[in-house]
Amino acid sequence: MSTTQHIKKNDIYNAFHEIWETEEPSDGVLHGLCIAIKDNIVTKKGTTTCGSKMLKGYNSPFNATVVDRLENAGAVLVGKTNCDEFAMGSSTEHCAWGPVKNPWDTNRVPGGSSGGSAVAVAANLCDAALGSDTGGSIRQPAALCGVVGYKPTYGNVSRYGLVAFASSLDQIGTFTHSVEDAAKITQCISGYDELDSTSYPETHPDLCENLKNPIKHLRIGVPSQYIGSNNETAVNDAIQDAIDTYKKLGASIVELELPLTDVGISTYYVLAPAEASSNLARYDGIRYGHRTDELCSDLFELYSKSRAEGFGDEVKRRIMLGTYVLSSGYYEAYYNNALKIRRLICEEYKTAFESCDVILGPTTPTVAFPLGSTADPVSMYLNDVYTANTNIAGICGISIPCGFSEEHGSRLPIGLHLQCAWHEDAKLLRIAQMFESATTFHTERPGVIA
Amino acid sequence: MNENQPQTELTDDEIRHVAHLARLAITVSEVSKAKKDLTAIFTHISRSSAVDTDGVQPLDHPTELLNHLREDTCSDSLSQQQVLANAPVIKDVYFAVPKVLGEST
Repeated sequence: MSTTQHIKKNDIYNAFHEIWETEEPSDGVLHGLCIAIKDNIVTKKGTTTCGSKMLKGYNSPFNATVVDRLENAGAVLVGKTNCDEFAMGSSTEHCAWGPVKNPWDTNRVPGGSSGGSAVAVAANLCDAALGSDTGGSIRQPAALCGVVGYKPTYGNVSRYGLVAFASSLDQIGTFTHSVEDAAKITQCISGYDELDSTSYPETHPDLCENLKNPIKHLRIGVPSQYIGSNNETAVNDAIQDAIDTYKKLGASIVELELPLTDVGISTYYVLAPAEASSNLARYDGIRYGHRTDELCSDLFELYSKSRAEGFGDEVKRRIMLGTYVLSSGYYEAYYNNALKIRRLICEEYKTAFESCDVILGPTTPTVAFPLGSTADPVSMYLNDVYTANTNIAGICGISIPCGFSEEHGSRLPIGLHLQCAWHEDAKLLRIAQMFESATTFHTERPGVIA
Repeated sequence: MNENQPQTELTDDEIRHVAHLARLAITVSEVSKAKKDLTAIFTHISRSSAVDTDGVQPLDHPTELLNHLREDTCSDSLSQQQVLANAPVIKDVYFAVPKVLGEST
């Protein structure tokens, strides 16, 4: 059976928005690896819709840098995966093409916003997938679907061709079955790109070279804010087991305090919507995207009606939130204050990394929750409580499978979240590899597809 | 500029004003829903006001890199046809829009 047929037959989760006929790959280190692309990364092939009616049928005239680099390395691109509209969400329920379902329990969400990419890998529909992470949108769905989700340091992977949500927070990364695949693929897509003005111009570290060499005298920081009553019992237990695993591997544990963890989400929900309200101003119903059929007497009416019809509720909510915090009279109290807290969060991380190599905790406070169960926006936002600060500071983070919960009547994966300092991606992956080599959680599959 | 203190309760007029600024047409029922949702979000966001930020410089961007520019050399750009291909309405080789200028008086 061809890869295309395999995906068409087995995607009962709505993971894919488009499944492509595959082409003969070029030679390269990723030769033959089947990789799916999140639907907010532009491809000349097919459409790029960002899970939005606003971009229904949008056909990009160019490829994102990461897409070109994957093809040049011999990857087989298999299609576009569903996501929360414009990557805004933590459940992939806010997708114009319907919700994506978690293969471990199809009554539950896969997380988001890169839910389709997480499911495509978790359900063995393809070898790997690209996603984007603005506040946890790779790591949170990876945790909820039991796969490896890696967000590189900001600037390591070109954002050229990633449809902008919050430009100072967005970063492309990978979903894979193993840390090794994450290293291999990221090695191919990272590196300076003159088409992205925020691309990191210095030499990028080799992620594969020493991947399987354990780090000696590893110091693991465990913040008190990451463990406790906010988390489900099974999550706390799995994290404690992970700490014990690392101890057996010779690591020492450093007790940390990261008091700004608590205000991360409130800071994020000022910064990200502010940037989004600006970035999404480009959808005007004129140059591309949805345009109202109603007869409009002036430009203002055309903009307002096209945007009201094209955007979904969550996107509109965030555009209004962002517009408000940037508006005259509130800029200082909200936006500028959030930028000051952003500096404090960076300093908090810098201080923490003086005493440890890596910060360890759960990726999410809970396992996958039921579809339709989180109606109010704030509860949904709190899914990213442990991941948002990584983006606010721009450091690197990874979620790797570390256990399962049986608390909710089905077997649901738990993610271990590791964060390292700016451009210490090679070290982060080595530390993740140490855990993966010592455990078998990453080999478990939902069991629906052989 | 009159800088207000953070507030959590938004009025109908403020919601309509923000929707206007954001170029989003909004119905009466949507105003009420948006007011409820945004008020809940701002109540959560207001936690940040407890953080002491006196004397802290704002950080716009995590890299703090200076602009680095590519060489100023000619390269291919998109064709007119490619640029117009995704436009919902075009007229000849132009994007079509409603009348922008008013009648002369």
